[in-house]
Amino acid sequence: MSSLVQPLLSLERLAKTYPNGTAALRGIDLTVRSGTVHGLLGANGAGKSTLIRILCGATHASAGRILWRGAPVQWSHPAQARAAGIATVHQQIPLVGSLSVRENVFLGRSGWARSGRKERRRLSRLMGQIGYHLPPDIPVAALAIGERQMVGILQALAADAQLIVMDEPTASLAAPERRIVHRAIRRLAGEGCAVLLVTHFLDEVLALTDALTVLRDGAAVVSSDTAAVDEAAIATAIAGRPIHRAARPTARAGADVAAEIVGLRSPGRLAPCTFRVRGGEVLGIAGFLGSGRSELLQAIFGADRSALGVVRVSGRAVPRFPVAAVRAGIALVPEDRASQALVPGLPLWQNITLAHLGRLSRWGVFPRRGLERAAAAAAVRRLLIKTPDLDTAVGDLSGGNAQKVSIARWLCGPTRLLLLDEPTAGIDIGAKTEILDQVRELSAAGVAVILVDSQLKLLLEEADRILVMREGAIVAERMAAETDEQELIRLAAGAPGAGPQGQRH
Amino acid sequence: MRRILGLREAGVYYALLLLVAALTAVTAALGRPSYLSPVNLTNILYQTAPVAIMGVAMTVVLITGNFDLSVASVAALAAAVNILVIDRVGFWAAMVVSLATAGAAGLLNGLMVELVGINAFIVTLGTLTAIRGLVLVVTHDRSLMVGTPTALNAMTSFESGRAAGLPRPILYMAGFTLLIWLVLRFTTAGRRIYAAGGNPEAARLAGINVRGYKLGAFVLSSLAAGFAGVLYASRFGAMNPTALQGEELTVIAAAILGGTSLFGGAGSVLKTVAGALVLYTLTNGFNVLNLGANYQGLIEGTVLIAAAAIYTVGGRWRAPRLSADPPSGAPDAHQAQSQPAVL
Repeated sequence: MSSLVQPLLSLERLAKTYPNGTAALRGIDLTVRSGTVHGLLGANGAGKSTLIRILCGATHASAGRILWRGAPVQWSHPAQARAAGIATVHQQIPLVGSLSVRENVFLGRSGWARSGRKERRRLSRLMGQIGYHLPPDIPVAALAIGERQMVGILQALAADAQLIVMDEPTASLAAPERRIVHRAIRRLAGEGCAVLLVTHFLDEVLALTDALTVLRDGAAVVSSDTAAVDEAAIATAIAGRPIHRAARPTARAGADVAAEIVGLRSPGRLAPCTFRVRGGEVLGIAGFLGSGRSELLQAIFGADRSALGVVRVSGRAVPRFPVAAVRAGIALVPEDRASQALVPGLPLWQNITLAHLGRLSRWGVFPRRGLERAAAAAAVRRLLIKTPDLDTAVGDLSGGNAQKVSIARWLCGPTRLLLLDEPTAGIDIGAKTEILDQVRELSAAGVAVILVDSQLKLLLEEADRILVMREGAIVAERMAAETDEQELIRLAAGAPGAGPQGQRH
Repeated sequence: MRRILGLREAGVYYALLLLVAALTAVTAALGRPSYLSPVNLTNILYQTAPVAIMGVAMTVVLITGNFDLSVASVAALAAAVNILVIDRVGFWAAMVVSLATAGAAGLLNGLMVELVGINAFIVTLGTLTAIRGLVLVVTHDRSLMVGTPTALNAMTSFESGRAAGLPRPILYMAGFTLLIWLVLRFTTAGRRIYAAGGNPEAARLAGINVRGYKLGAFVLSSLAAGFAGVLYASRFGAMNPTALQGEELTVIAAAILGGTSLFGGAGSVLKTVAGALVLYTLTNGFNVLNLGANYQGLIEGTVLIAAAAIYTVGGRWRAPRLSADPPSGAPDAHQAQSQPAVL
């Protein structure tokens, strides 16, 4: 990567101001060279999405230039960017579930005639290129989320992309899948491709990228070779302030049992689980994607209709459906905010009061607008939700703020047991810290918390005790203070020799 | 304010005013009796009432994200049952039997959709056909007539009597619409109905009994249809087995004219009533102007598509403003909402 070589892509003073006057980008300079991985970081709302949208031709820059192989370009349609050699792997990859892997990979192909044999040969070559193989004929709907991510990358390769823009490719992946994506990214760079990697994971950036750019409020606040910066410097640049975490209160050993789970099971999904959580305790659940973590939370909440077994909160058995769970003080913050937590038609304040509406209503029937708005405003203040007002459409909130809304919902009523399913996935470090601080505050106030998170480091920091799941069963229990990432990975993988998380070699 | 008075928000009211204004101007120019005469306006409202009542309940079904094609068949069944039993049990007991029959049909629809999990369109297409078949069975494919004069009198006073100077069906329509509007607007049930339609999974995980509300909407829809059926039977004191055939399409058209989303989570019963009034004002206009009835279907269909086009294009036109500043993460939410078919 000598600087004599012409960069593949350079952005010069690129700016974007939306018609309503919002300046999303205020003059960004950025250079990406072939054969390198370039990290793009920033808080939710810093301008990363706008930058990606401009690069993939979905929107125009309002000022500045894009130089592609040294020549200025102006794309007015995503197809033009794709034809030039820029492919984007979006966070939520638009794949057609009913079509096979092969058909999805070659979905964007022009021309009338298609040859299955040729596509098959090409596909196996592409799979060799990233060092990952998938059965070409199974429908994409049957794939795990990490495998779909790989289909998205293959799709980009099939389009002969020289620059692949990846928008948080590992946001919802567990360690082994993340490692597969990491390996693919490295292989791509080795083959001469350039990768623009958007991610919230600082360790990933340090391990994978050659250079990085940090955006804050639409400006590039750090542009540097990765070797020249460290994790703390990046975190400070993203947040715009040094990140301090208050010391976590340790769970009091003598606290009452807040929830007791006895023989909770779900045929085909969950083997019988029995454990207790004390008030004020944070119980972490470790395990890979598909190990039954989400299924366990869904079963506790009564959202899994085929689940059997007993859940007791404060000693009383809770009937197995969500209405009863909420009444008993169980709260679930689901994994997928957009599809499982937010109601797009309702404004922010009504989204916040949705779960405990009855408590804010006269005789439980007539919602009291004043009370509701006051409760919503209090939750917005407490969780530091950034929003212009209480009437904002929830679809307009950034990822971190949307996640806070789905937590805020449970602050409007008495919560005894809080179930968190990947609460920090795809969220920038500032919002993540605020959410985790809130969880600590709640547990300090005596709420029992069950926390599912793919980031083991985070689990070790936040939890008092960790249950490890594998294939729908709880296979181990450790005190957080007495274990480490390696041991948790070994336990979750069930293989004594399973290696640590991928490091860059 | 602009949002409330905008074309998309209040379009159906403008359409109604425009239509009435146009018909008034034309009738005046042709020297016919005033279009705005109380007699004519009352007449339009009176004719609209049954469809508006069904439309209001249909709107609730649509808000919960479902669909009910069976309303006209259910109404016909209720009418047939009503006339079959009224001579023996009297007016009010017959009303109860008719509504119970209709409610059972709604329960059947709801159970098939919510518990068995069959698509609402398919289930109610099935019941549309099957219940119409049941009507033929119970009527032996013959016209039915009320026999006893007492029953007929009770029917007449229920349907054709006046209260507060207005034909009673208008009051039934107003009362029912007001009730449902109040429930949707001012109760927890109303909020939860919108949430259950807007994002069923999120509503369920927020502890809302989504199935219950969706099932309840089907029952409400069928009860409203049953009531419309009783109105129909009472109007004529008789019915033939093909009565009200195809009326479900008018009901759905009224809801769509009122801007109700077919995807759930949005809709207003007041606008549905306005939509029904647009349709019946058109019909009435054709009669008043002596235009051939042949054109009626053509014009009504065109109006329906034009309205849907305004809502759709109006929505798209507004969309850039809504997502003017896509902070990272926000576009994902938009995608998830607007492209339910992709992974």
